[in-house]
Amino acid sequence: MSKKLKIKAAILTAFVALSVVVMGFIVSSMQDDISLSNYSADIQHEMDDLPGLLESAQQETEQNTQTFDEIYQSKAESVAFMANNNTGYEPTDAKMVEYKELLGVDNVMIVTRAGEVLAKAQDTPAVFSYARFNQLRTTFDTGEPSAAVEVDFAGEGETWRYYAAAIDADTMAVIEQNPAELVELIDSTASVGAVLSGVSVGQTGYVFSVSARDYLVSYHPNDAYIGIDALDAGIDVADLENGSFSWMTFEGERLFCGVSEIDGTYYISAVPESEMTASRNLTVGVVLFIFFSVAMIVALYGIFVNREDEKRGYNPDNYVNLGGLRFNKAIGRKAIVLSFVGFLAVLVVTFYMQTLFSLSAESVSSNERASDIEATITRTNEQASALTDQYNERYLSKTEVAAYALDHNPELKNKASLQELADALQVEYLYVFDRNGTMTVTNSPYSNFQLSEDPADQSYEFRKLLQGVDSLIQDPQPDEISGELRQYIGVTLRDSQGDADGFVQLSIRSSRLETLLSTVQINNILDGVKVGQNGFAFAVNKADGTFAYYPQSELVGRDARAYGLTDAQLKDGYSDFTTVDGQTYYATSFESGDYYVYVAQPESELMTERVPLTVATAVSGLVCQIVIFVLVTFEIRRRNEGSLDPDAKPANWPLDDDGNPDSRMFDSLMPDGRVVKTESAASRWLYTSLDWGEKSAEQRVLTVIKVLVGIFAIAVCLAVVFKDQVFPPDSVFSYVLGGDWVYGLNVFALTMCIMIACVVMTITMIIQQLLKLLAGVFGSRGETMCRLLSSFIKYASIIGMVYYCLMVIGIDTTTLLASAGILSIAVSFGAKELVSDILSGLFIIFEGEFRVGDIIQVGGKSGTVIDIGVRTTKINDGSGNIIILRNSEVSNVVNMTKESSYASCDMDIEYGESLERVESILQDEFPNIRRRLPAIEDGPFYKGIVALTDNSVTIRIVVQCAETARGQLERDLRREMKLIFDEYQINIPYPQVVVHQPIVYKKATLAEQLRADRFNEEQKAAAAARKMGSDDDYEEEERR
Amino acid sequence: MASRAKRLLAIAVAAMMLAAAVGLAGCNGSDSNGGSGTLKVGVRSDIVNFSLLNEQTGKYYGLEVDIAQELASRLGYADVEFSTVTPDDRKDKLLSGEVDCLVACYSIADSRLENFDFSPAYYTDATSIMVENSSLVTDVTQLEGGTFGIMSGSNAGPLLAIKLNEMGIIGDNIISNTDEGTQYEGVYVKKFPSYADLSQALEEGEVDAAVMDGSIAGTYIDDDRSLLDVNISDQLYGVATQKDSELSPRIAEVIQAMLDDGTIAALIEKWN
Repeated sequence: MSKKLKIKAAILTAFVALSVVVMGFIVSSMQDDISLSNYSADIQHEMDDLPGLLESAQQETEQNTQTFDEIYQSKAESVAFMANNNTGYEPTDAKMVEYKELLGVDNVMIVTRAGEVLAKAQDTPAVFSYARFNQLRTTFDTGEPSAAVEVDFAGEGETWRYYAAAIDADTMAVIEQNPAELVELIDSTASVGAVLSGVSVGQTGYVFSVSARDYLVSYHPNDAYIGIDALDAGIDVADLENGSFSWMTFEGERLFCGVSEIDGTYYISAVPESEMTASRNLTVGVVLFIFFSVAMIVALYGIFVNREDEKRGYNPDNYVNLGGLRFNKAIGRKAIVLSFVGFLAVLVVTFYMQTLFSLSAESVSSNERASDIEATITRTNEQASALTDQYNERYLSKTEVAAYALDHNPELKNKASLQELADALQVEYLYVFDRNGTMTVTNSPYSNFQLSEDPADQSYEFRKLLQGVDSLIQDPQPDEISGELRQYIGVTLRDSQGDADGFVQLSIRSSRLETLLSTVQINNILDGVKVGQNGFAFAVNKADGTFAYYPQSELVGRDARAYGLTDAQLKDGYSDFTTVDGQTYYATSFESGDYYVYVAQPESELMTERVPLTVATAVSGLVCQIVIFVLVTFEIRRRNEGSLDPDAKPANWPLDDDGNPDSRMFDSLMPDGRVVKTESAASRWLYTSLDWGEKSAEQRVLTVIKVLVGIFAIAVCLAVVFKDQVFPPDSVFSYVLGGDWVYGLNVFALTMCIMIACVVMTITMIIQQLLKLLAGVFGSRGETMCRLLSSFIKYASIIGMVYYCLMVIGIDTTTLLASAGILSIAVSFGAKELVSDILSGLFIIFEGEFRVGDIIQVGGKSGTVIDIGVRTTKINDGSGNIIILRNSEVSNVVNMTKESSYASCDMDIEYGESLERVESILQDEFPNIRRRLPAIEDGPFYKGIVALTDNSVTIRIVVQCAETARGQLERDLRREMKLIFDEYQINIPYPQVVVHQPIVYKKATLAEQLRADRFNEEQKAAAAARKMGSDDDYEEEERR
Repeated sequence: MASRAKRLLAIAVAAMMLAAAVGLAGCNGSDSNGGSGTLKVGVRSDIVNFSLLNEQTGKYYGLEVDIAQELASRLGYADVEFSTVTPDDRKDKLLSGEVDCLVACYSIADSRLENFDFSPAYYTDATSIMVENSSLVTDVTQLEGGTFGIMSGSNAGPLLAIKLNEMGIIGDNIISNTDEGTQYEGVYVKKFPSYADLSQALEEGEVDAAVMDGSIAGTYIDDDRSLLDVNISDQLYGVATQKDSELSPRIAEVIQAMLDDGTIAALIEKWN
């Protein structure tokens, strides 16, 4: 390589490296910007939500506490009511135990104003005389149950909550209850941990909180981090500013964080860097690889051509001089094509990767959001059913108290007392029914009622109670009259014998339950769901395909199919583009109850992200390509370079070739007049590849491309195989491999196809290489098998791959399989030749008719077998011509493969020649022949006389030789023999025409004619007399 | 073989020399970086918002910790070493020189001024009365005939008695005084070995009110409790140093500067 070329190569290398670095920087920083702006939006969204969440958690705590307190206040009041209404109350411990059971509380006590405990169900650690319990005594003044007093008896390790209701002026009923249930409820629903653990940022991001005072972590999803010092963990105190976005390091992990400060606590919404880089690195990596490949190919091509020119001399026709520069047309023509195609490749790949990147991010976040919504629905449902259960139990207990009171004092069955009882129980209405199912008394204004006898009616169910069933809880139902959600619960009243004697029923209308049940409605859940900047959620009824919820309310109730959705899209787990009302969205669906819920994001949002990045990449790619192109095609002209002066045409230009006739590469003239390099037929099926030095510049570039494609395929294959180790579970890659997208012609399917292709290619490549190695180990039969296996694997993998890819792209493969039956019939007619070729091929191999390397003769063609394919067999006829035979045509094979062969030569000698003389001459000459023809392995041998023909005696001489040398040797041998015969004047007979003078024939005399007639007759008679038969018959017998 | 061993030895020696050089450089760096060594500060370990030792991190957090850190950096120390002092051992630790100074809710009192130097007060605390909301006590007069709780050994007891006497809630005489408590005319003041016990007694109702310094009350206050609007006495917290030590005037100066430029006000705001 000349110095000049070396410099050029160095410059090119440097520039390619530089441009890759620059490109990497541009692409990754843009990608980061996009990721960051996405994450910022997401974090901002969470931050905006957070105060509301905390607030509602706070409210929920208050509401839960209030509800809890109300229940036990009502229980205390019930005790007071029973004490005051002659229901068998007495201040004894036994009675208290009875009340405790009835009310389902931990302890019931009767306490005096001063604090003396008159009766109790069990012992209490509380000393009610202390001022601490003054709160309980307020019930004496207000007449209402007191507010709760919670005391933590650390010594006993108990916490109790107390409620009091005045019985009379000096005694009160006190309920002692363990608030564990309340604490648990608050912890699980409304604590900061409960709130923050439900918040997700990005895909793996989370929210943690840090105290603004001491910077201790007060909540973190990872419990191990709770309580550690955030500053020690790596957070910079300067970053902890309300509303700031920054990169933080926390326990060695880089996080992109948004901070919001609420009530002395920093809430930090964090997205791990790894989440960003995983996807970014992949995208950037692929784009850079393609860019690098393209740049390198163009640069290498230029260098290869220059190098070739250096070796072979320069063709001045290829150059255009531009001042001090020289433009190489030959390189330019092809380099510009390469550059342009490369530029397109970079453009397409960037756009593709962008689409893949943003779509999968979109899809993952949609899935995330969808599962959030799903979780919300489930949670709300669970909450609703838990609450319903709780309400049922609570109100059943109240009804039981009412029944207890009424059983013990039937006098209470009047409107005023019932009203009092209802107040004590904190319920709206009480109804008392007699044993006939007729309402006898109630505190409600609606007093005239008889249980229905129609099973379809709501009240019919309560007839069960008249038959002795203890209690009945009816589900909340809309009231027949007002339409309000109302619940009825009944408990049987019993007479002194314990027989059913009517029942008491209470009716409640819980606004809390009602609110909660209404939040379970799909529109309530989906309303206000925001995805990305303009995304939203909507729901479609499973049953009739109408919109159950859509942000534009006019669409609700309309048939979704009339607005662009298709039946195929109305399913669980849909994830692809869909059009609603003329707008294209990327939608992800899931099934929930009676609905399919979709999370949709507008397509335009995706486009806005990928277009600028693609354009930026393309422009910078183009600039780099142009620079490389200029570097490759131009060079500085120097006139004083002497022998290397490119303007001086070398004497022997154009050089046709490198002068080596055995070269596997040579120029060939294309039909359109271009001269291209081509590989000789004989070398094409050789397993061994060309020497680098033999290759033309184009071929070298092709080799480079092959290597690059191979590297790419192997990299992808490795990534697929080791995806769990290489990629986080939520990266683009895992997403695509996970297959949670819809099969169809979309970017995921294409990616999947590429991945499959890469994997199959890699595996096939490895197996083929292995086979090649094996082929070298085993003999020719092994080689044959390996070649066959190799080609079989090639076809099988391609067919399998195509089939799978078709499936991925959404073509129904079962139909394809079914149609394959018909198809195969059609094909078998059209391609029966092909089928017979393949079958013949198999038989050739399995019967071992011949192998690679054998010398065979088929029909008139003979040569060395160089390849046995599934369809064809290729034979080298010895002169470098490849005869391609269809396997079905390979019949009547002569396999001439043997270690040594015989070349024979038959010579004719005239009859007149003395055989002894000839034989003695041969004896003398054989050593000479042997000497002159080195191909002879043994001999020559004289084999004697082959035939005595009409005109000659044929003798045969043979020599032993290699089969490959046989043809030539036979020719040489004949020449030798001819020369010997000439030397010794041995005649070789050949047809000779001897011309004779015409002669005049004499005529027979009459006497002679007569004598002859007579002779004939005598002879016939004599023969007949001796029964010698017919001469003709004899002759015919002879012939047989 | 021998030459190889030699080479290894040479490398090792070079590495050691390099390490030594780096080590020396490190020492020099820290010295020249400002401050001579470490300021040893005695702080409390159990007072929320003033100085609380976090068992998990082994670090102290709070107003006094921040003040001490600022103080040390202004004095030119490179580092601050905190150690826990208790009301029992703080005197001895300072006198023995185990700590250079106390920033430990240590109030400036005449008796203490005899032994120690105090900086200007960085915080004024009020001794106050804490009650349970459920006792419905909102005014100190409601506590007439009730039970107060104090921590034994704290000077809250005499101060409370003076204050209650001033308010006319108790008479002039002490009926009985034991280790358990003091029976005044009108109220009983019960003594507890620790603030935690005092707080628990308040929780269970054993005492109707607990008397403690504002700084300590911060630790035990919760939603169910409140402080009565009465100030028994003011406590001025200052940084204590050994009598006539060379640190005393410098610390006094720095604390005054921190008071003047609003640093302390800002820190109080932060931890309040």
